Amino acid sequence: MSKSDTVLDEVVQLLIEVVGEDFLLDLEITRDTTFSDDLALESIEFVALAEKLQHRYGGRVDFAAFVADMDITEIMTMKVGTLVAYIEERTTAARSAG
Amino acid sequence: MAEVHANGVCFNAQVLEPQGAPADAPTIVFVHGLVTDNLSSFYYTLAGPAVVAGARVILYDLRGHGRSQRPEAGYTADDGVTDLCALLDALGMRDPVYLVGNSYGGILAARMAVTVPDRVAGLVLIEASCAGTGAAAWIEDMANTLSVTALRLEHDGARDQYRMAGQRRMARLITHVDGLLNRTSLVDDVAAERPLRPTELAAIRCPVLGVYGERSELVAAASELTRHVPGCTVRILPGLAHTVLREATDVLRDILLSWLAERTAHVLTDTRRAG
Repeated sequence: MSKSDTVLDEVVQLLIEVVGEDFLLDLEITRDTTFSDDLALESIEFVALAEKLQHRYGGRVDFAAFVADMDITEIMTMKVGTLVAYIEERTTAARSAG
Repeated sequence: MAEVHANGVCFNAQVLEPQGAPADAPTIVFVHGLVTDNLSSFYYTLAGPAVVAGARVILYDLRGHGRSQRPEAGYTADDGVTDLCALLDALGMRDPVYLVGNSYGGILAARMAVTVPDRVAGLVLIEASCAGTGAAAWIEDMANTLSVTALRLEHDGARDQYRMAGQRRMARLITHVDGLLNRTSLVDDVAAERPLRPTELAAIRCPVLGVYGERSELVAAASELTRHVPGCTVRILPGLAHTVLREATDVLRDILLSWLAERTAHVLTDTRRAG
């Protein structure tokens, strides 16, 4: 399994924790899946997901700063891949620095 | 951190710590509006920039809202103040905090500035009318709208229709609103709410900032503030109505951070991150 798949799988796993397995059971979640249109994620569920990811990755990621750089439309139309790429970038940078 | 037990209720709350900030960084508590609102409206708008600028941010869902527990009673502004004080206690926040309230959240924030002044370092009202006849009319209007909505939800089958159509988000929203309006005392509590007296408003000693939309029905609250709160800062945003938080996020962010920067050395007005 590649590193990319690992981050994507972890995001999917935490998504299931937030919204429940029943709802996501029939959906294949890829990097092109959108949180709003495809997953019908509520805005508050995205916040809960971000908190879980912040807890999972700790100081290597900073979701407050991540969303501070976007407007509401950008956040609501975000693809899963955008979030995954951010986590990959930050965790790779942290590893390089360490 | 998501679940915090306070005043007998399980609250959904988040504390966002600025990176590398000193222990005495200012704390901002964002207080959202009624019924369909929750902490995400601030998470997506002002919270991130405030953290990047150096403030500690507390976001929480009011009781019955968002992902917080929904008790059957306790929805007055005074209950909301008790909840928030208990939440701050549970989080170990003893120092006075800056309160930023949007819409009904402003009523709650202003009430706290009046009744628990020692815990409030500053008060920011976004589109909230808190005192006098304007506030009384607004509260009555809210209560009427909520009563009508409650009745409609009880008698039409919208929730089941959305659920059948697989529209998860709408079905869940309707379930939430129905539960809050028809299974709690919220509507009665809002209807019984009293506005602050002008003398109470005038007794607020902390710095106050009010931001209103030029076309909002609440714009008269701006002059109410100017008249009764000496030294307050009031900004009226041209062309906007009640939804300034969502529609003028950037302007509001700059106003809020500049105002904070004048009051605390720890908040930087330049929110642009390097790189």
